[in-house]
Amino acid sequence: MEYFLNQLVNGLCQGAIYALMAIGYSVIVGVVGMVTFAYGEIMMIGAFGAYYVFQFVGINLPIALLAAFASSFLLGIIVYKLCYERFFNAPRHISLLCTIGFSMLIKNLVQIVFGPETKPVLNIIDNRTFNIPLGGAISIDLKLLQIVVMILVVVLAVTLTLFFNRTRAGVALRAVSQNKDAAYLMGINVKRTAMLGNCIGCGFGGIAGILLAIYYYSISTTTWGGFSMKAFAASVLGGLVDLRMSALGGLCIGIVENLGITISSATFRDVFAFGFLIIMLVLRPQGFASKKGNRV
Amino acid sequence: MKKFVSLLLVMVLALSLTVLPVSVQGKGVIKLGGLAPLTGNYAEYGKGFQVGWQMAIDEINAGGGANGYMLEIDVKDTQGDTVVSSTMATAFAEDDDVLAILGDFTSGSCKANASIVDRYGIVQLSPTASAPDYAGMSPFCFSIMGRQDGEAPYLATYVLKKYLGVDKVAVIRVDSDWGLACFENFKAQADIEGLEVTEEKYKSDETDFSSIITKAKLGDPDVLVVMDQGAAVSAIFNAADAAGWDVKHVALGPGTSEQVVSQLMTPDNIIVTSPFFFDPENEELTKWKEEFTSKAGFEPTVHPACAYDTMYLIKTAIENIGDGKVTRDAIRAALQDLEMQGITGRIKFEPAGDIQRDYMICGVEGGEWLVLKGFDYVNE
Amino acid sequence: MSKVKELFNKYQVLAYIVLLALLCVVPFALPKAVYVRYACNILMYATLAGSLNIINGYSGQTCLGQAGFFAIGAYTMGALSTKFGISFWLLLPLAGILAAFVGFLVSLPTLKLKGIYLSIVTLGASEIIRIIAQTWTPVTGGAMGIKQIPYPEMFGLDTFRPKYYYFIFLFIGVIFLFVTKRVLQSRVGRAWISIREDEIAAKSLGVQTSFYKSLNFMYGAFWAGVVGCAYAPFVNYIEASQFSTDTGFNVLAMIVIGGQGTLIGPIVGSTIVTLLTESLRFLESWRYVIYAVLIIAMMWLRPQGIAGASRSILAGGKIKRKKQAAGAEGGATNG
Repeated sequence: MEYFLNQLVNGLCQGAIYALMAIGYSVIVGVVGMVTFAYGEIMMIGAFGAYYVFQFVGINLPIALLAAFASSFLLGIIVYKLCYERFFNAPRHISLLCTIGFSMLIKNLVQIVFGPETKPVLNIIDNRTFNIPLGGAISIDLKLLQIVVMILVVVLAVTLTLFFNRTRAGVALRAVSQNKDAAYLMGINVKRTAMLGNCIGCGFGGIAGILLAIYYYSISTTTWGGFSMKAFAASVLGGLVDLRMSALGGLCIGIVENLGITISSATFRDVFAFGFLIIMLVLRPQGFASKKGNRV
Repeated sequence: MKKFVSLLLVMVLALSLTVLPVSVQGKGVIKLGGLAPLTGNYAEYGKGFQVGWQMAIDEINAGGGANGYMLEIDVKDTQGDTVVSSTMATAFAEDDDVLAILGDFTSGSCKANASIVDRYGIVQLSPTASAPDYAGMSPFCFSIMGRQDGEAPYLATYVLKKYLGVDKVAVIRVDSDWGLACFENFKAQADIEGLEVTEEKYKSDETDFSSIITKAKLGDPDVLVVMDQGAAVSAIFNAADAAGWDVKHVALGPGTSEQVVSQLMTPDNIIVTSPFFFDPENEELTKWKEEFTSKAGFEPTVHPACAYDTMYLIKTAIENIGDGKVTRDAIRAALQDLEMQGITGRIKFEPAGDIQRDYMICGVEGGEWLVLKGFDYVNE
Repeated sequence: MSKVKELFNKYQVLAYIVLLALLCVVPFALPKAVYVRYACNILMYATLAGSLNIINGYSGQTCLGQAGFFAIGAYTMGALSTKFGISFWLLLPLAGILAAFVGFLVSLPTLKLKGIYLSIVTLGASEIIRIIAQTWTPVTGGAMGIKQIPYPEMFGLDTFRPKYYYFIFLFIGVIFLFVTKRVLQSRVGRAWISIREDEIAAKSLGVQTSFYKSLNFMYGAFWAGVVGCAYAPFVNYIEASQFSTDTGFNVLAMIVIGGQGTLIGPIVGSTIVTLLTESLRFLESWRYVIYAVLIIAMMWLRPQGIAGASRSILAGGKIKRKKQAAGAEGGATNG
């Protein structure tokens, strides 16, 4: 029972990171209106941005998070210019193929600079585990790391919601995600707003990236494609564009994965995420969101 | 007419000179093919091969070559990928000038190449393939690493039972030919010794070990054994530390690797089995180690030392052929019968084409490897 | 260029025979044995890319999971030949049929989906196939894969030598082109193209889009399976990681660069990408950087690929342009 609960906690923490990932992804798809295959690599750049902060500045989590957000944000500008701006009115498969090319580009460039080996990411957060009794003889282990991650995700999600609802820019983003032409008619600079939305989504991905590196105690260049898939899978639950449902999707995938590993073995980890995705797509491809724009 | 004839004669003579082999330094060059993972997961070991081979070739050629022949090796990057390895092996095999292949690093690649080298009739001498069923696949398959039906049982009997004195063991291993060979041989001996063993496996490019650690921790074992080489070893032990799991770390596979030590959170906690150690007391070994380190930029494990020895094995084989023609078959036959003292120890091939080695137990103190128990421990 | 085309059309049969004869001479004319292996790879990938082109280029469904069907073909050959000694030539069509069946299964959830959803499902299916291959040890050898796959019997020749195996790939390639050309010119092919250009219009004209889309997947998967079956003895050792999403993307790169929607596009793509792969092997990761740049450049400059169908929606439709000839505006004509 304890083992099961501990895996549940693992799942919640990992799910929180996936939720962050999914939120970022949904912002991109919602605002830009185009799907990306390069999300994993964007997360990777954020993770590496923070990694190099650790190398050169030292163990400073807030600065690293900022660096992660900034690196991915900047990369988002490049992605936007290369893969989205030109193809707003083109058949969707073209921008899709462009992002596939872009993801290949970034992945291999980073491999050249950084090397293909996995490097360790240690001692960012103290290795403390709290043993929390839950009544009876049952207690669960909660790591300090997990607490930090979950709090961070909640804070970021709340910040984003406030941004979308209370600021001019945020409202503009929502307008663009609902209907580009109407937003244009309302005087919103659609291109710049779409770019901003893309970059914010990328920034969130970057933070999710460094959180994953910290959580797994290692950083490499090859594992990020899988996360791209998971971000997509999670946001499918939200019809790709609804933030809350996407976050929930991320949480679900995290839990399902970790519990699934309990029953079988770690090699099947991706099967659970894909299985969840395919079942979702078969049962309800539009997700559980309230109806918004769904131009894919 | 006379002028014309003499001009013709001169031309014919000149032409014939270009056709005849020009022996400046003796009998010519023998080409060897080299397979090594210069990029990818096992890049550290592949580069080690390259440096080890080059060191040996430079020494051999400076000393007059192998029975007068200069040696030359063309090293191809197999990227740790079996298909690339097979493609390179086929390319070497199709090239009639290549008389033997040295490499590859992983048992899986070597086994996959076995049918290729067998059909073409060219030796594949691997410094490090240790799956017990590899060398028997063809008379042309050789390896000098030692076998997992030697090392894995040693782990069970001498490291776990005798040295550490434990009963319950959790094994986490890579899911590959080599990993399977390690575990099966280990389990067989562990059952004889009465050890309780749990097993978790992971695919070779796995990075997230937290769930595996949680599972392995369940039975509250005394020791955590990792069977793999490369970055995964340190990643797993770090994940165990991060989970707050206080347990002894034992590894089979990485040898006394610098890279592993530098990436561990708690390096002093680790113990490994190794067929070889660079003893600071031994002058010859220390000199070799220093030379390797200056050429490679990192310190050697047993693997590049084996590569170095394979080059000397080829030299010895060529010398043993004597005055006969050096062909692929001749090299194979000479290799099978020879006996040599390499820097990794005495090498004499079993009928299958591999060798049995002795092992020692090594640990870490203050960030440096040292020998905890030497080869004689088996006799104590 | 059009002069050549004119000449070609006039003497088509003769041209094909000459081309075939030249291709037959290639493996004996190449100086180095390793070049012959490149030639084999080019032929093999030409057919594999061709099979993906059927799906992506002719029905407009963006499939990203060709590696999965490829794997099914390879493992069929690997498992059945090593365990039961079944002959290669019997397994060729069998592998294709099995892959087609899986193609059918994959197509089912995609029928109601479009665009990215469809692509993701194909990717997911490909990954699931790979993971099954990696874990179903009794059949697929698990992480150890299948080794020592027997070489095909062909007139008693040493088929383990690339210069003879070349003819197996040539044979498959020629049959693929021949059959596919017939299929494309038939009612089925026209249905596919109509779906690609405008699915709703096609439906309104009475085309049973679901049936044809499914058929399209099955046909593309069939040929991927056949190529997979030929691949297995050629590399002699198959294992799950050879069929990853990267493999799928490699094939995708070939048709993106070489051209979608035409029969010659995949051949061009396969040649370019394979030659780049092999000659730039020393560049390691820079190779992939070059592909990536090529893919992006293609999307910017010529979305249908070098030899792709210019007069189709693949060429980009309404990307902003000042002046544009009427032909490129998503009109439906032959590919």
